Amino acid sequence: MTADLLAGLTAVLQWEVLTFLAVGVVLGAIFGSLPGLTATMGVAVLTPLTFWVSAEQGLAMLLGIYCGAIPAGGIPAILINVPGTPASIATSWDGYALSKKGQAGLALGINALLSAVGQLTSIFFLAVAAFPIASFALRFGPAEYFGLALFGISLMAGVSGDRVIKGMLAGMLGLGIATVGLDPMTAYPRYTFGQSEFLDGISFVPVMIGLFGLAEVLIQISDRWGKLDQAPSKLGRIWPAWMEWKRMLPSTFTGAGIGTFVGAVPAAGGDIGSVIAWEQARRLSRNKEAFGKGSLEGLAASCSSCNGAIGGAMTTMLTLGIPGDAVSAVLIGALLIHGIQPGPLLFRDHRDFVFSIVFLMAFASMVMMVVGLLGAKPLARALRIPSPWLWAGIVMFGAIGSYALNNAVVDVWAMFVAGIVGFLLRKADVPLGPLVLGLILGPMMESNLRRALILGRGDWLGTLTSSSIVVFFMVATILSLLLPLLKKRRAG
Amino acid sequence: MLSRMLGQGMNRRFAVVQALAAAILLFAVSCRHGDGPYPSKELKLIVQASPGGISDTVSRFMGSLIEKDLGVPVVCENKPGASGALAFSYVARRAPDGYTLGHASIEIAVVRTLGYADVGPDNMGLICLVSKTPAVLVVREEAPWNSFEDFIAAARKQRGGLILAHAGTGSIWHFNALLMEQAADIRVTYVPYGGTSRSLASLLGGHVDAVIAGTGEAIANVKAGRLKVLAVLDESRSQLYPETPTSHELGYNFGAPAWSGFFAPAGVPDAILERLEKAFRKGFASSKWARLCRERGMEAVFMGRKEFREFALQEAAFFGREIPQLLTLER
Repeated sequence: MTADLLAGLTAVLQWEVLTFLAVGVVLGAIFGSLPGLTATMGVAVLTPLTFWVSAEQGLAMLLGIYCGAIPAGGIPAILINVPGTPASIATSWDGYALSKKGQAGLALGINALLSAVGQLTSIFFLAVAAFPIASFALRFGPAEYFGLALFGISLMAGVSGDRVIKGMLAGMLGLGIATVGLDPMTAYPRYTFGQSEFLDGISFVPVMIGLFGLAEVLIQISDRWGKLDQAPSKLGRIWPAWMEWKRMLPSTFTGAGIGTFVGAVPAAGGDIGSVIAWEQARRLSRNKEAFGKGSLEGLAASCSSCNGAIGGAMTTMLTLGIPGDAVSAVLIGALLIHGIQPGPLLFRDHRDFVFSIVFLMAFASMVMMVVGLLGAKPLARALRIPSPWLWAGIVMFGAIGSYALNNAVVDVWAMFVAGIVGFLLRKADVPLGPLVLGLILGPMMESNLRRALILGRGDWLGTLTSSSIVVFFMVATILSLLLPLLKKRRAG
Repeated sequence: MLSRMLGQGMNRRFAVVQALAAAILLFAVSCRHGDGPYPSKELKLIVQASPGGISDTVSRFMGSLIEKDLGVPVVCENKPGASGALAFSYVARRAPDGYTLGHASIEIAVVRTLGYADVGPDNMGLICLVSKTPAVLVVREEAPWNSFEDFIAAARKQRGGLILAHAGTGSIWHFNALLMEQAADIRVTYVPYGGTSRSLASLLGGHVDAVIAGTGEAIANVKAGRLKVLAVLDESRSQLYPETPTSHELGYNFGAPAWSGFFAPAGVPDAILERLEKAFRKGFASSKWARLCRERGMEAVFMGRKEFREFALQEAAFFGREIPQLLTLER
């Protein structure tokens, strides 16, 4: 054990490997902070480059990209309300609010610090409890996924703030959009109007860029019509004060834990994990009202959970050879090319290599933390760019990013349509969080309910009580809907 | 207007406009090709799947191998969607100059029958086939069936009693399962997943009884003793599972392996196709390709443009005939 640990560490502590790691982190930071360029894309595009170097060097670069991109996704979420990757949606809720209050520096600092905490926590779980986590992930069958998705949907009310009815309507709109494309069971086209571009549904990333980025630009333009000269935003300090640390601590570890487990479940990643963690942190917090309006606890939960998902996804990938999210799916291919087969045998035959991966990820998250802290000041200064330039930049990068995702023009149109819809919804004071939840969770909920019913041969009650995990989610869903009502009644 | 402007003497702004126009013109001219021998500029290789999957790996790997022989860069671009139909019709509509190529997965023989796009091997300039991936029937190690025959007998006992997961309705592994039902006169209950890895996770977790997947996709958990392969659904044995019998050996004549090849738009001159085939053949012969195939569970098989064309047309005819019939098998 100790020998493997040392062997794993020495394989990593070489200046070539560490250089590749640093290059990877910086590249990842670039991919992550540009909306539309995702961590998956960064890893996939650079994988061929690693064919010609050693396994450690190649992996150092790819893991660097992964560990760099996810924290970097929080940067545009905080500064301009456009999540850089889907995982940082929840980061924008509190991060952008802080930034508007003139605390962009603090938000960026927290993003850098607590992203690293989330990653390191999940990496620690990977190192000590990989197999228990993986076997827990395997217990997720269709009924369990349906339970998880239903629970996620029940959080719509929580992320709507005090506009519950409008939030529900937005959520239904999201679920509706999620039904476009091939039927997940029968592959029959739904709402495609005969266009093969819509067979795979409406792409999520362009819709996200439109709803948040373009709509934000339109809102700012309409709010400030005729009075362009706005005062330069304050950056504020970067390092959180001791009291703030203490306040963020519980939600940080709630976030990291939830992120690790949700990340470990195949087909559920940081996007779902961070929304669930944010909502749980809100429930457990004493300052519930502050969430979504610049709460440090909310920001801490979302930063630590979307990064915790990294370690979780890697756990499933390394122990089972089954990807926990899209990035780890690409990483499997890269590992195979280097002659490494992820799976149960990896932990028996190449334990030193597993430790190498653990160290590489730990180093990468620390390098990214330094990059994030050093970059906070110059990045926050981006807010001093005159608004028209910033707006033009957001629209341009949004369009490029939407196109780059699938090299499809239809995605650019989706971005613009989503932007206009998002603008109108926000003008009508409709919260967009529930819409995003419906969009992410809709396909997961629908397809898994139908799979579960096939497995249960149509027996509803039997299916929804088939395991302790399902029952847990059903009870949690009911409680999450009822508790606020009961509390209100008692208070009233 | 122009003469007036010229008559007034060129002001600075006009000079800038002129310079820009000249630059654009020069750029446009430099982008034109056709003067030198083929290829004289970079090639675009359109991949029908997302980055990171097997089609993407095959394309980027082969792209980097033929680059050396052709002496120009090969740039891969992913256009995923509609089982590849979007990418196939995109490439088929490009100018037939040999500078836009596409990765030809088995779906080129299927998407027309599925109604996704009117594109198939007959309106493509096929270049070559480079690999084949047969399907395998896998179950959990502790499952009561130790052979393909056991499995078939259990499935016969109760129509629809066994639950089989696959990568999705309309995927090649789904068709292999349907062919198995037809050949062995059994019926199973299907649970379609969005991709093989999720169907395998579901099998490992004990939620379904069996999975049909590609040979390489199951290998990690087979080697670890968590899954066992009951049959390779092909004519000849797989190098990955030399001990496992094939469906044909067992007397069931079915099995539709997936394959990978490359194509250009229809109407590309044969000389250019020949040049490309030569480059791919060279790449195929390299030890790097053999290694990739071994590691990803593919079989390195080469077919030149004529042979591939014949084969792909046969496959398209086979799926065009079989799919409508298979999808309406009485349940």
